[in-house]
Amino acid sequence: MAHRPMFLMIGQAWIFYALAAIAVILFFGGLVLYLVTWKRVDRKGRPVFSWAAVRRTFEDAVLGKRTFKGDVTAGVMHLFIFWGFFALFMGTGVLSVHHYIVEFLRGRAYLVFSAAMELAGIVLVIGLLWAAVRRYLQRIPRLEHRAEDGLVLLWLIVVVVSGFMVEAVRLSAQDPAWRGWSFAGNVLAKLIPTSTASSLYPYLWWGHAVVSLGLIAAIPFTKLFHMLGAPASIYLQATRSPSGLIENEKASLFQLEDIVFFDACMRCGRCVEVCPSSGAGEPFAPRDFVQAVRKSLWRQNSPLGDIRFFMANGSQQVDEKLWYCTTCRACLEVCPVYGAAFEEVIKKRVEVIEEGTKVPPLLNQTLERLYRYNNPWESSKKRRAEWARGLDVNDITKEKDNIEFCYFVGCTTSLDTRAQEIAKSLVSILQAAHVRFGILGKKEPCCGDIARRVGELGLFMEQVDNCISLFEKYRIEEVVTSSPHCFHTFRNDYPEVLFRTRHYALVLDELIASGRVKPTKSLDLVVTYHDPCYLGRHNGVFEEPRRVIKSIPGIELREMVHNGPDSLCSGGGGGRMWKEDIDAETKMSEIRIREAHGTGASIVVTACPLCLIMLEDARKVQGLEDELKVMDLNELVLMSL
Amino acid sequence: MNIIVCIKQVPEVTDADLEITSDGTDIDKEDLEMVINEWDNYAVEEAVRIKEAQGGKVTVVTLGDEDSEDVLRRALAMGADAAVLIDEEGFEGSDAAGIARGLLRVVEEMEFDLVLTGAQSSDDNWAQVGLLMAEWLGLPFASLAVKVEPKGETVVVHRELEANTLEEVELPLPAAVTIQTGINEPRYVSIMGIRKVRNIQIEEVSAGDLGLEASQIGKQGSSIEKIRLSLPEEGEGAEILTGTMEEICEKAAQVIKERGGVA
Repeated sequence: MAHRPMFLMIGQAWIFYALAAIAVILFFGGLVLYLVTWKRVDRKGRPVFSWAAVRRTFEDAVLGKRTFKGDVTAGVMHLFIFWGFFALFMGTGVLSVHHYIVEFLRGRAYLVFSAAMELAGIVLVIGLLWAAVRRYLQRIPRLEHRAEDGLVLLWLIVVVVSGFMVEAVRLSAQDPAWRGWSFAGNVLAKLIPTSTASSLYPYLWWGHAVVSLGLIAAIPFTKLFHMLGAPASIYLQATRSPSGLIENEKASLFQLEDIVFFDACMRCGRCVEVCPSSGAGEPFAPRDFVQAVRKSLWRQNSPLGDIRFFMANGSQQVDEKLWYCTTCRACLEVCPVYGAAFEEVIKKRVEVIEEGTKVPPLLNQTLERLYRYNNPWESSKKRRAEWARGLDVNDITKEKDNIEFCYFVGCTTSLDTRAQEIAKSLVSILQAAHVRFGILGKKEPCCGDIARRVGELGLFMEQVDNCISLFEKYRIEEVVTSSPHCFHTFRNDYPEVLFRTRHYALVLDELIASGRVKPTKSLDLVVTYHDPCYLGRHNGVFEEPRRVIKSIPGIELREMVHNGPDSLCSGGGGGRMWKEDIDAETKMSEIRIREAHGTGASIVVTACPLCLIMLEDARKVQGLEDELKVMDLNELVLMSL
Repeated sequence: MNIIVCIKQVPEVTDADLEITSDGTDIDKEDLEMVINEWDNYAVEEAVRIKEAQGGKVTVVTLGDEDSEDVLRRALAMGADAAVLIDEEGFEGSDAAGIARGLLRVVEEMEFDLVLTGAQSSDDNWAQVGLLMAEWLGLPFASLAVKVEPKGETVVVHRELEANTLEEVELPLPAAVTIQTGINEPRYVSIMGIRKVRNIQIEEVSAGDLGLEASQIGKQGSSIEKIRLSLPEEGEGAEILTGTMEEICEKAAQVIKERGGVA
């Protein structure tokens, strides 16, 4: 009857068991170190149970759904390696049960099992070779060429190939009747004469045993930990509370979810590929940042320091690079383990801000002024409402008529001459539609976005209190913002508040749908729309502004290559607008404006004061002044009224 | 190394529309933000850096109203260990000597190796307080320091002289030094950092506690009298461009071109 002979021709099986015991001790010892380190990083961190998280873990870890995002070939390759490895691992488990507990792999059951293992091995070899081709022949830019990358790949290949060879030699030596079921091993077996097979067998068997056990032992000490870390990270990120509600200064500390994400990172580089800062040739890369922070956390918290062999000499310095990130969220959008590198950047910024001596001078000044004037533009409070002079706008702080909402203009829209057009045109639209609204005039404070993003949490919390008490004082329940940044901050970073916030694009969309605003004048124009990060990626508002544009008769909306969730940041967020001029090959905004120009559109429409300023500058630097205009959504709608 | 730093709160005047008070001798500070004098900020940073490198204690002293506590708290958050607030009551209208007398009485009661002050203050600009204290304390003195390097029994000071020349001097300790801007990069002081030092007790003293008579300080003790403060008048050659931003820019560009601003 068909079966697999175990420990064939292997005399001293105790040696095998001793080696296996060492491998298992190293493996579990390593796991204990992870748990100890994680615990020290976040004492209070406890995973919570959630069905949604289980479901997501199944879909993304087991089915590998997320690895297909934006890179189908990588997804297929990953699936091959995952399933090949997983099936062989399960197969070894099944075989152990058969050998030590109940014998059931006999006859037909064994043949099916044998063929399945055969298939799994082939799938794994294909996946591994494919990975090697991608990394070393195709040289896909996002993949690194560290020693660890090559060694881990080679090791896996040796494990599978040696497995096939052991099988081939066994088939050749024994020549069982059912050898055809082991279709790959059988092909190899035919190349080996029966006479040499018997003498070769013990060497190959021991070789395969040693590399396989070594692989198990190596898992915690190399990037292979990904196979355990990734599902853990996917699960934990799915149980994370939304964005960063700051209740107890917790937002500044690395939590369980963060350290697990760092340990799950396989350095696949998808984040680097989409990072606008890396793309502009700046010295920041989310992947490298994550690795540096991982290293410093392990150095601080692990009883044995960093246990990843190959990363021992890696840098843990992040200080100067910390300020490049615009917090655009593109990295999270593509990360297979759902890591939010930009949030980690902010956490690290909090440390630097509190320490004080490594804050870049210009940011230091900006924060001082932000505190002093309640805006980042070094402008006195008196000038805040100057844009509204002569526009007959109701100032809520002076008299509160029956208003539908408070228009929260925001620092940049109030004080930058170009951005003021956003406010002026919105006011014209609202007045034409007889919408009753008011502004806070000179008393309008900063929402806290900049302080939050650059990590000045003390200042942010003061600004939160400031805003909330002002809204309460004037009984404001509905807020409409010019800036996606204010919108996001109110909506996601404030503790539970009694007011609802909308970005004006949502209001325009509603007003047009209900017929209160009617864009009637036909505009014979081709336009393209630039998604602001904090409106699109951060808050999922993609459709509304596009609907507004399409409601204008005669207009054609042409999408850029990067649009919607894949939109490219223009470089103004995360406090970047108020930081040192950074030397880069090309500015992010210039890359974006070229892409916009490439669509053949004559106008780039956006819905954010920071994007407006960045793109407007880029247009001038790129010499596109005659061909391309940059406009706010409000300005475009107003043209059609 | 124990260091005393004398600091001062001043009104922030960049970007502010200044107005003169009705009696014509001062600017109206009602709407102005109060901040630490820029030179003093560098002095505090320098003291804290020396302490961090060599150990010791940094004490900050100011003379002002109760709001001046803010600059003391800020200095504590930067790393100073203790703070003294001299109540300005009785000191109003003092000249530099009157202020120096107040600070002197506090400083001479303490143990110290180094007294630092800003080279000058942005409001009155006398640049005398540090020098007067050094004289009265009988201390060696160096002004306009851009590098302060304590070496056991002495301190080496680099002084910034005209045309960026540097003078290197060595003073026996204890000594008094006034600090020039740019000597270091003052650290950022976070709101949370300031909140963390809110429980440090600030020692408050009055002119009476210091044994100062009305004749020594304030208007009475001042050897100079303020007559009038005025805003600069529009002089010859000044032209204020008006119009929209674009028109202003265009006119400005024209002026620059016409008068040979660009080759």
